[in-house]
Amino acid sequence: MSSDRLSITLHALADPTRRGILARLSQGEATVNELADPFEISLAAVSKHLKVLEKAGLITRGREAQWRPCRLEAAPLEEVSEWIESYRQFWEASVDKLAAYLKQMQRRGH
Amino acid sequence: MSAMQIDSPPDQAVLVMTRILEAPRELVWVALTTPEHVVEWYGGDGFTNPVCQMDVRPGGLWHHVMRSPDGHEFAIESVFVEVVEPERLVWKGAHDVAARGGPPNAITEVTLQTVPGGTRWTLVSRFESVAERDRAAAMGFAHLITQGVERMLASVRRLQQKQ
Repeated sequence: MSSDRLSITLHALADPTRRGILARLSQGEATVNELADPFEISLAAVSKHLKVLEKAGLITRGREAQWRPCRLEAAPLEEVSEWIESYRQFWEASVDKLAAYLKQMQRRGH
Repeated sequence: MSAMQIDSPPDQAVLVMTRILEAPRELVWVALTTPEHVVEWYGGDGFTNPVCQMDVRPGGLWHHVMRSPDGHEFAIESVFVEVVEPERLVWKGAHDVAARGGPPNAITEVTLQTVPGGTRWTLVSRFESVAERDRAAAMGFAHLITQGVERMLASVRRLQQKQ
Protein backbone atom coordinates (compact mmCIF):
# COMPACT_ATOMS: atom_id res chain seq x y z
CA MET A 1 0.00 0.00 0.00
CA SER A 2 1.42 3.40 -0.91
CA SER A 3 2.37 5.70 1.92
CA ASP A 4 -0.15 8.30 0.77
CA ARG A 5 -3.05 5.82 0.86
CA LEU A 6 -2.03 4.51 4.25
CA SER A 7 -1.61 8.01 5.66
CA ILE A 8 -5.01 9.08 4.33
CA THR A 9 -6.62 6.01 5.84
CA LEU A 10 -4.93 6.54 9.20
CA HIS A 11 -5.97 10.19 9.21
CA ALA A 12 -9.55 9.16 8.53
CA LEU A 13 -9.38 6.68 11.41
CA ALA A 14 -7.71 9.17 13.74
CA ASP A 15 -10.99 10.66 14.93
CA PRO A 16 -13.30 9.04 17.49
CA THR A 17 -16.49 10.29 15.80
CA ARG A 18 -15.40 8.82 12.49
CA ARG A 19 -14.53 5.55 14.20
CA GLY A 20 -17.98 5.61 15.78
CA ILE A 21 -19.52 6.10 12.35
CA LEU A 22 -17.53 3.16 10.96
CA ALA A 23 -18.50 1.01 13.92
CA ARG A 24 -22.16 1.74 13.19
CA LEU A 25 -21.70 1.02 9.48
CA SER A 26 -20.02 -2.28 10.31
CA GLN A 27 -23.48 -3.37 11.46
CA GLY A 28 -25.08 -2.43 8.12
CA GLU A 29 -25.84 0.48 5.80
CA ALA A 30 -27.22 3.69 7.28
CA THR A 31 -28.38 7.11 6.13
CA VAL A 32 -26.74 10.34 7.23
CA ASN A 33 -29.59 11.00 9.66
CA GLU A 34 -29.26 7.56 11.20
CA LEU A 35 -25.49 8.06 11.55
CA ALA A 36 -25.87 11.50 13.12
CA ASP A 37 -28.38 10.27 15.66
CA PRO A 38 -26.06 9.12 18.49
CA PHE A 39 -23.72 12.10 18.23
CA GLU A 40 -24.37 15.51 19.70
CA ILE A 41 -23.07 17.31 16.64
CA SER A 42 -24.79 18.90 13.68
CA LEU A 43 -25.71 17.11 10.47
CA ALA A 44 -23.23 19.41 8.74
CA ALA A 45 -20.45 18.16 11.02
CA VAL A 46 -21.41 14.56 10.31
CA SER A 47 -21.37 15.29 6.59
CA LYS A 48 -17.84 16.64 6.91
CA HIS A 49 -16.75 13.43 8.61
CA LEU A 50 -18.44 11.38 5.89
CA LYS A 51 -16.50 13.29 3.23
CA VAL A 52 -13.22 12.40 4.95
CA LEU A 53 -14.25 8.75 5.15
CA GLU A 54 -15.39 8.73 1.54
CA LYS A 55 -12.13 10.29 0.36
CA ALA A 56 -10.22 7.56 2.20
CA GLY A 57 -12.31 4.94 0.44
CA LEU A 58 -13.58 3.68 3.77
CA ILE A 59 -17.22 4.29 2.84
CA THR A 60 -19.24 4.54 -0.33
CA ARG A 61 -22.50 6.39 -0.62
CA GLY A 62 -25.54 5.38 -2.60
CA ARG A 63 -26.92 7.59 -5.31
CA GLU A 64 -30.61 7.63 -4.36
CA ALA A 65 -31.17 11.34 -3.73
CA GLN A 66 -33.55 10.90 -0.81
CA TRP A 67 -31.58 8.38 1.17
CA ARG A 68 -27.89 8.23 0.10
CA PRO A 69 -27.15 5.24 2.29
CA CYS A 70 -23.55 4.93 3.45
CA ARG A 71 -21.73 1.63 3.31
CA LEU A 72 -18.46 0.54 4.90
CA GLU A 73 -15.75 -0.67 2.50
CA ALA A 74 -13.30 -3.27 3.73
CA ALA A 75 -10.27 -2.81 1.46
CA PRO A 76 -8.58 0.17 3.19
CA LEU A 77 -9.15 -1.39 6.61
CA GLU A 78 -7.60 -4.61 5.39
CA GLU A 79 -4.59 -2.74 4.07
CA VAL A 80 -4.08 -0.99 7.40
CA SER A 81 -4.52 -4.28 9.20
CA GLU A 82 -1.93 -5.96 6.96
CA TRP A 83 0.51 -3.16 7.51
CA ILE A 84 0.13 -3.34 11.29
CA GLU A 85 0.60 -7.09 11.06
CA SER A 86 3.85 -6.74 9.12
CA TYR A 87 5.08 -4.30 11.77
CA ARG A 88 4.21 -6.83 14.46
CA GLN A 89 6.07 -9.58 12.60
CA PHE A 90 9.14 -7.36 12.35
CA TRP A 91 9.17 -6.95 16.12
CA GLU A 92 8.42 -10.61 16.83
CA ALA A 93 11.41 -11.61 14.70
CA SER A 94 13.61 -8.94 16.26
CA VAL A 95 12.84 -9.83 19.84
CA ASP A 96 13.29 -13.54 19.10
CA LYS A 97 16.77 -12.74 17.92
CA LEU A 98 17.33 -10.39 20.88
CA ALA A 99 16.39 -13.20 23.29
CA ALA A 100 18.92 -15.56 21.71
CA TYR A 101 21.58 -12.86 21.54
CA LEU A 102 21.16 -12.02 25.24
CA LYS A 103 21.92 -15.66 26.09
CA GLN A 104 25.01 -15.46 23.92
CA MET A 105 26.08 -12.24 25.65
CA GLN A 106 25.80 -13.88 29.06
CA ARG A 107 27.75 -16.96 27.93
CA ARG A 108 30.51 -14.61 26.82
CA GLY A 109 30.60 -13.10 30.30
CA HIS A 110 28.73 -9.82 29.80
CA MET B 1 -28.62 -0.08 17.90
CA SER B 2 -25.85 -1.22 20.21
CA ALA B 3 -23.98 1.34 22.26
CA MET B 4 -21.02 2.88 20.49
CA GLN B 5 -17.76 3.82 22.06
CA ILE B 6 -17.19 7.38 20.94
CA ASP B 7 -14.55 8.64 23.34
CA SER B 8 -11.06 7.32 22.67
CA PRO B 9 -9.75 5.20 25.51
CA PRO B 10 -6.45 6.43 27.01
CA ASP B 11 -4.48 3.65 25.35
CA GLN B 12 -4.33 4.45 21.63
CA ALA B 13 -1.73 1.83 20.84
CA VAL B 14 -1.71 0.00 17.55
CA LEU B 15 0.71 -2.65 18.63
CA VAL B 16 1.39 -4.01 22.10
CA MET B 17 3.83 -6.85 22.68
CA THR B 18 5.39 -8.29 25.78
CA ARG B 19 8.04 -10.93 26.35
CA ILE B 20 10.11 -12.26 29.23
CA LEU B 21 13.80 -12.12 28.41
CA GLU B 22 16.16 -14.31 30.42
CA ALA B 23 18.67 -11.65 31.25
CA PRO B 24 19.07 -8.90 33.84
CA ARG B 25 17.44 -5.59 32.98
CA GLU B 26 20.73 -3.71 32.81
CA LEU B 27 22.02 -6.14 30.18
CA VAL B 28 18.84 -5.85 28.12
CA TRP B 29 19.25 -2.07 28.24
CA VAL B 30 22.79 -2.38 26.93
CA ALA B 31 21.62 -4.69 24.11
CA LEU B 32 18.91 -2.17 23.18
CA THR B 33 21.00 0.99 23.22
CA THR B 34 24.50 0.01 22.12
CA PRO B 35 24.95 -0.08 18.33
CA GLU B 36 27.48 -2.93 18.37
CA HIS B 37 24.80 -5.08 20.05
CA VAL B 38 21.71 -3.68 18.29
CA VAL B 39 23.10 -4.76 14.89
CA GLU B 40 23.16 -8.37 16.16
CA TRP B 41 19.38 -8.72 16.57
CA TYR B 42 17.49 -5.85 14.94
CA GLY B 43 15.25 -7.10 12.13
CA GLY B 44 15.47 -10.77 13.13
CA ASP B 45 16.97 -13.72 11.27
CA GLY B 46 18.25 -13.06 7.79
CA PHE B 47 18.59 -9.31 8.23
CA THR B 48 21.86 -7.50 8.75
CA ASN B 49 22.44 -3.96 9.86
CA PRO B 50 25.29 -2.33 7.97
CA VAL B 51 24.89 1.02 9.75
CA CYS B 52 23.74 1.81 13.27
CA GLN B 53 24.51 5.11 14.96
CA MET B 54 22.69 6.01 18.15
CA ASP B 55 22.83 9.17 20.20
CA VAL B 56 20.84 7.86 23.16
CA ARG B 57 19.35 10.96 24.77
CA PRO B 58 16.10 12.92 24.25
CA GLY B 59 16.39 14.57 20.85
CA GLY B 60 19.30 12.34 19.87
CA LEU B 61 19.28 10.69 16.45
CA TRP B 62 19.27 7.00 15.56
CA HIS B 63 20.56 6.54 12.04
CA HIS B 64 20.12 2.95 10.90
CA VAL B 65 20.47 0.96 7.69
CA MET B 66 18.94 -2.50 7.44
CA ARG B 67 19.70 -5.04 4.75
CA SER B 68 17.07 -7.63 3.88
CA PRO B 69 17.96 -11.24 3.00
CA ASP B 70 17.70 -10.41 -0.73
CA GLY B 71 20.20 -7.59 -0.41
CA HIS B 72 17.89 -4.57 -0.38
CA GLU B 73 18.98 -1.81 1.95
CA PHE B 74 16.80 0.77 3.58
CA ALA B 75 17.56 3.56 5.97
CA ILE B 76 15.53 4.20 9.09
CA GLU B 77 15.89 7.58 10.74
CA SER B 78 14.57 7.93 14.26
CA VAL B 79 14.83 10.38 17.11
CA PHE B 80 14.77 9.51 20.80
CA VAL B 81 11.94 11.06 22.79
CA GLU B 82 12.50 9.67 26.26
CA VAL B 83 15.48 7.85 27.79
CA VAL B 84 15.20 6.48 31.34
CA GLU B 85 17.95 3.95 31.97
CA PRO B 86 17.37 1.04 32.46
CA GLU B 87 13.56 1.10 32.31
CA ARG B 88 12.15 3.08 29.38
CA LEU B 89 13.19 3.98 25.87
CA VAL B 90 10.91 5.95 23.55
CA TRP B 91 11.69 6.87 19.95
CA LYS B 92 9.84 7.94 16.85
CA GLY B 93 10.44 8.17 13.13
CA ALA B 94 12.35 11.31 12.22
CA HIS B 95 11.56 11.45 8.53
CA ASP B 96 9.00 13.62 6.84
CA VAL B 97 6.37 11.19 5.62
CA ALA B 98 5.43 12.93 2.38
CA ALA B 99 9.01 13.62 1.35
CA ARG B 100 10.31 10.14 2.02
CA GLY B 101 7.36 8.21 0.58
CA GLY B 102 7.54 5.65 3.35
CA PRO B 103 4.96 4.42 5.82
CA PRO B 104 3.62 6.82 8.45
CA ASN B 105 5.79 7.52 11.46
CA ALA B 106 5.46 5.29 14.48
CA ILE B 107 6.29 6.28 18.02
CA THR B 108 7.53 3.30 19.94
CA GLU B 109 7.97 2.83 23.66
CA VAL B 110 9.94 -0.05 25.14
CA THR B 111 9.79 -0.60 28.89
CA LEU B 112 11.88 -3.04 30.90
CA GLN B 113 10.73 -4.45 34.21
CA THR B 114 12.65 -6.83 36.49
CA VAL B 115 10.61 -10.00 37.07
CA PRO B 116 11.39 -13.53 38.34
CA GLY B 117 13.38 -15.19 35.60
CA GLY B 118 14.72 -12.01 34.06
CA THR B 119 13.20 -8.97 32.44
CA ARG B 120 9.76 -8.23 31.07
CA TRP B 121 10.20 -6.39 27.77
CA THR B 122 7.11 -4.51 26.62
CA LEU B 123 6.71 -2.64 23.36
CA VAL B 124 3.89 -0.22 22.64
CA SER B 125 3.72 1.39 19.23
CA ARG B 126 1.42 4.12 17.95
CA PHE B 127 1.25 5.82 14.58
CA GLU B 128 1.24 9.46 13.68
CA SER B 129 -1.44 10.55 11.25
CA VAL B 130 -0.80 12.96 8.43
CA ALA B 131 -2.84 15.60 10.23
CA GLU B 132 -0.81 15.30 13.39
CA ARG B 133 2.72 14.97 12.09
CA ASP B 134 3.29 18.72 12.33
CA ARG B 135 2.02 19.00 15.85
CA ALA B 136 4.48 20.49 18.30
CA ALA B 137 3.51 18.19 21.13
CA ALA B 138 5.54 14.99 21.39
CA MET B 139 2.38 12.99 21.97
CA GLY B 140 0.78 13.69 18.55
CA PHE B 141 -0.18 10.15 17.64
CA ALA B 142 -2.78 8.72 15.32
CA HIS B 143 -5.60 7.37 17.45
CA LEU B 144 -6.07 3.93 16.04
CA ILE B 145 -7.28 0.92 17.94
CA THR B 146 -6.10 -2.35 16.41
CA GLN B 147 -8.85 -4.38 17.96
CA GLY B 148 -11.41 -1.88 16.72
CA VAL B 149 -10.14 -2.29 13.17
CA GLU B 150 -10.21 -6.08 13.44
CA ARG B 151 -13.72 -6.05 14.92
CA MET B 152 -14.92 -3.84 12.10
CA LEU B 153 -13.31 -6.12 9.53
CA ALA B 154 -14.98 -9.18 11.04
CA SER B 155 -18.36 -7.43 10.90
CA VAL B 156 -17.84 -6.29 7.33
CA ARG B 157 -16.90 -9.81 6.22
CA ARG B 158 -20.02 -11.18 7.87
CA LEU B 159 -22.06 -8.50 6.13
CA GLN B 160 -20.51 -9.31 2.77
CA GLN B 161 -21.34 -12.98 3.17
CA LYS B 162 -24.99 -12.08 3.71
CA GLN B 163 -25.12 -9.91 0.58
